[in-house]
Amino acid sequence: MRPFAYAAPGSVDDAVAVLRDAVPGTKILAGGTTLYDLMKLGVEAPPAVVDVLRLPELAGITVTDSELVFGAGVRMADVSDHPVVRADYPALAESIWRAASQQLRNMATLGGNLLQRTRCGYFRGTDFACNKRNPGSGCAAIEGHDRHHALLGASSLCSATYAGDFAIALRAFDAVVDVVGPRGERPIALADLHVEPGEDPSREHVLDVDELIVRIRVPLTPAGRGSTYLKIRDRESYAFALASAAVGLVIDGQGVVTESRIALGGVATRPWRAVEAEQSLLGQPLTAESARRAGEIAFADARPGRTNRFRIELGIRTVADAVRTAGERAVR
Amino acid sequence: MRVDAYEKVTGKALYGADRVLPGMAFAALALARTGRGRLISVDTSAAAAVPGVLAVETHFDLASPGFVMGGGFGFQSLQPMTDDHIAYRGQPIAIVVAETPVAATEAAEAITAEYEDEPTALHLDSEGATTLVQEEAIPLPFLADLKVGDADAVIDASPVTIEGTYEHPPQHAVPMELNGGVVHWDGDTLIVHEGTQNANALRFGLAQQLGIDAANIEVRSPYVGGGFGQKNSLLVHIGPLALVSKRLGRPVKLVLARTQTFHNGSFRPASRQRIRLGADETGKITAAVHEVDQQTSRHDLFPAMHTETSARLYGLSAYRGRQRLVQTDVQTPGYMRAPFESPSMFAFEQVVDELAYKVGRDPVELRLANDTDTDPISGLPFSTRYVADCLRRGAELFGWSGRNPEPRSMRADDGSLIGWGVAIGNYPCNTAATNATLTAGEDGRVTVAVDGHEMGQGIRSTIALHVAQDLGIPVGDVVVQVGDTTVGTQHLTAGSWGTASALPSVHSGLRELRKHLDVADTGDVEVAPAVAAVGHAVTVHADSVGPGQPADALAQSMTGHLAITGPEYPGFVTFSWIAHFVEVRVEPTTCRIRVPRVVSVADCGRVASPVTAASQVRGGVIWGIGAALREESMVDDRFGGFVNSTLEEYPVMVNADVHSIDVDFIDKPDYRYNPVGVKGLGEVSMVGAAAAVANAVHHATGRRHYRLPIRIEHVI
Ligand SMILES: Cc1cc2nc3c(=O)[nH]c(=O)nc-3n(C[C@H](O)[C@H](O)[C@H](O)COP(=O)(O)OP(=O)(O)OC[C@H]3O[C@@H](n4cnc5c(N)ncnc54)[C@H](O)[C@@H]3O)c2cc1C
Ligand code: SF4
Repeated sequence: MRPFAYAAPGSVDDAVAVLRDAVPGTKILAGGTTLYDLMKLGVEAPPAVVDVLRLPELAGITVTDSELVFGAGVRMADVSDHPVVRADYPALAESIWRAASQQLRNMATLGGNLLQRTRCGYFRGTDFACNKRNPGSGCAAIEGHDRHHALLGASSLCSATYAGDFAIALRAFDAVVDVVGPRGERPIALADLHVEPGEDPSREHVLDVDELIVRIRVPLTPAGRGSTYLKIRDRESYAFALASAAVGLVIDGQGVVTESRIALGGVATRPWRAVEAEQSLLGQPLTAESARRAGEIAFADARPGRTNRFRIELGIRTVADAVRTAGERAVR
Repeated sequence: MRVDAYEKVTGKALYGADRVLPGMAFAALALARTGRGRLISVDTSAAAAVPGVLAVETHFDLASPGFVMGGGFGFQSLQPMTDDHIAYRGQPIAIVVAETPVAATEAAEAITAEYEDEPTALHLDSEGATTLVQEEAIPLPFLADLKVGDADAVIDASPVTIEGTYEHPPQHAVPMELNGGVVHWDGDTLIVHEGTQNANALRFGLAQQLGIDAANIEVRSPYVGGGFGQKNSLLVHIGPLALVSKRLGRPVKLVLARTQTFHNGSFRPASRQRIRLGADETGKITAAVHEVDQQTSRHDLFPAMHTETSARLYGLSAYRGRQRLVQTDVQTPGYMRAPFESPSMFAFEQVVDELAYKVGRDPVELRLANDTDTDPISGLPFSTRYVADCLRRGAELFGWSGRNPEPRSMRADDGSLIGWGVAIGNYPCNTAATNATLTAGEDGRVTVAVDGHEMGQGIRSTIALHVAQDLGIPVGDVVVQVGDTTVGTQHLTAGSWGTASALPSVHSGLRELRKHLDVADTGDVEVAPAVAAVGHAVTVHADSVGPGQPADALAQSMTGHLAITGPEYPGFVTFSWIAHFVEVRVEPTTCRIRVPRVVSVADCGRVASPVTAASQVRGGVIWGIGAALREESMVDDRFGGFVNSTLEEYPVMVNADVHSIDVDFIDKPDYRYNPVGVKGLGEVSMVGAAAAVANAVHHATGRRHYRLPIRIEHVI
């Protein structure tokens, strides 16, 4: 780890001002569970960090009559413990408490969670070629261990998985993040926040370096109650997803699906919405076959690497199981 | 009961690296970033320029510590930073000392090097790996292939034959306590605080490396935060640390990063087990062949001892073992909990399960039918062998009679496939020569200093309990000192011989103490009044050796060498035994495998300390489940070394993976083995557990798995 400068502004306005005038490469610091980790590994080496953890504007969870609003500085642990979130948006709560460990959740924030970086082992070890860490150096994963790598949204330069869980559930619910920068505040749909690796794997999201996420808004939807986040992993806790699915459904009195939301995690280079899979469920009753079919549609374009082909079938089944659970929870 | 529970829970217990000494500096290692080759140059200029850096060293005048299984003291014979040879990725190439750990780490990372790369072989089948027949490569009697009768001919002539080849991956123990410690010099005396299972080997190994008298070295290791074999000998960082500490005239602390412990310490080597069994139509086993290929390093031959246990599992008339070593470009592998027995039982006990299916007999019944009182290899009786009782009691506790033998026949309400599997395990009961010093003080407290190390297994509690029960005094009045070369020899504590070796000398020390206190041979003792009557504190010494072990073993132990005997003793053979019953559930769609309940019943002789004994078994079972379903040290052929070298990527079990584990003991003393009737337990707890999981997975899914770990991709 190299020495770095540290600033802890007292308000969002101050933070924006500090960021605007900061030396190039300055990073926003929240819980530090990704950033410090990568700094210790030598993957990130910011000359300065701007600590936003205690900014008052980033705190708190509120429920309005149209939205759930999460401050970007809210700790993961506080979301999974929130009674309204747990009751009305089980997928959101589950995506948090099935992530990381209690110690990490006590420290990590929602804003940091959304912008966490991939767990690709070659990215995290500075000895290896990696187009994301060191643009143009190549990709060691192509001929290497790619068991956890992305099946969807990869490019020839990078197939690193977006590893976070919360963003998957947010993606299913059409969440919006509010971002503040020197040019003021702007909303960004979660769908537009992360980008695929394409020609530039080092670019993972659309925020400018001096922009700060202040809050995350989730529009209220009855599909919240009929939702689940299913995460399949190598052990029952403290592991990233091999495949995950956030599903929210509304089913009418006749048992017909009237609203359907499916997002995929652990399998794509960014939070992935499976729109065609959602549509396949609409307007008909939910059956084991239709749930499976939705999974198959979701993975129709999946492209496996050397050792991760099994995760296509696993992903299909994960979607099918999540659809079934969401169906059981859905309001009728 | 755990006598040090309070200290541990409140953080009062001081582990090696917890020492904070005045003027202490901090060290960090820079590691080789090539799989094998020659070091052309090391650039330390950037490291030396980091503020706070006191020293950057790339070369040391250190003799080899010798390989612990080759008459030496080190986990491997190769001492890094003594020449330009890089044998494996992760080998240290420089050590930095600085005023703070942060500066030391930063400087270590700033070190760059140039290498001349050489091709690497990392797997059993890699091009360039060299395969040696063990008994030819290491011509020692105890490593000779075990052979009784003509096993191949008997199998060929048997009405039922069965065979299988099983692959076991490399694994790492990843104990919570990282490797590392604090060293300092007091005049000419070197003092080492380091978590180790073998303080005396550190002492004599460092003496050899540094060319100084062992009398001038003290090693203190009162607590070890998990050893599991990785801390059973001198590690490569301590010699250099001692030299830099001397040069700087300051105490120096070094704690390896988690990833560094994957290369600077031993690991369980990859192995391949080929088993052949012959049996009659009822499933009575006639003969077995067990052939093993086990990975080792280029610089040391880590002996394979897989057949020692498989030969003793059942009553066979003929047996042939064959063990080969495959040299690869890794650090020297070593003894990770149940080092050979877990992999070989994973194979052997699956073959036995297959046999049960082939002859249409219940797997428990089949095992009972193959029980024996006699060791097939030596023809001697087992001193005690209650594995049949383990099987019967386990079956009852588990409810085994409710099992439908048909694979895929049992389902849970949620549609999960239920599988029930059984396997047995054994582990040799070796004995180490030990010393004990007991002191009865005027305050009525009894201090016991004994050969042993507290790795969390509870040896301190077991000894305290034994002394308290013998004298009829509160456990709180017994002070147990272990792991400290200033109070005793501190022979290696491993191989499940710790308690069974320490207790006999404590036991004879107690007899001696009673004599000197002038009290009866048995019965409660009022210690303070007895001491008052004598007029001063009373100190006695005692020692013990294993049955038939020559007394010069004690002298051998005092020189830091292994001084063990067994499991064949004059007139008998001693093993510990266990039976595991495992339920797995395989989810109907996503096929996740869970282990909701396990019943394990062990025969470890008399149970010397019920609470810590039950924890040992639970821990062993958890390791077995981890081995069966999760753990594998991954290799990337292009780079060498192990790539999943963090707790995040190396999937040790977590609490959420652990459900009900019921433990019971036969609790019958083995007085032929030693006067306290106690056999080993820590290792046998794990033996067979992975096999029982694999057998349960077979029962649930109808598929047998020949390779560990069994992951989701193998069952989906
Ligand atoms: C061992 C381990 C296991 C884990 N397992 C999981 C898991 O299973 N599932 C999962 O989802 N996550 C997992 N995580 C990731 C963890 O959830 C994230 O590290 C955490 O959420 C990041 O939050 P933070 O507040 O610590 O962010 P930081 O580390 O402080 O920041 C992370 C990134 O976000 C940026 N940032 C932070 N806040 C803001 C803001 N308000 N505006 C703009 N940019 C910002 C930072 O600049 C940085 O680039 C795991 C992490 C570890 C170390
Ligand atoms: S997959 Fe992406 S992150 Fe991983 S090594 Fe390749 S380029 Fe780097």
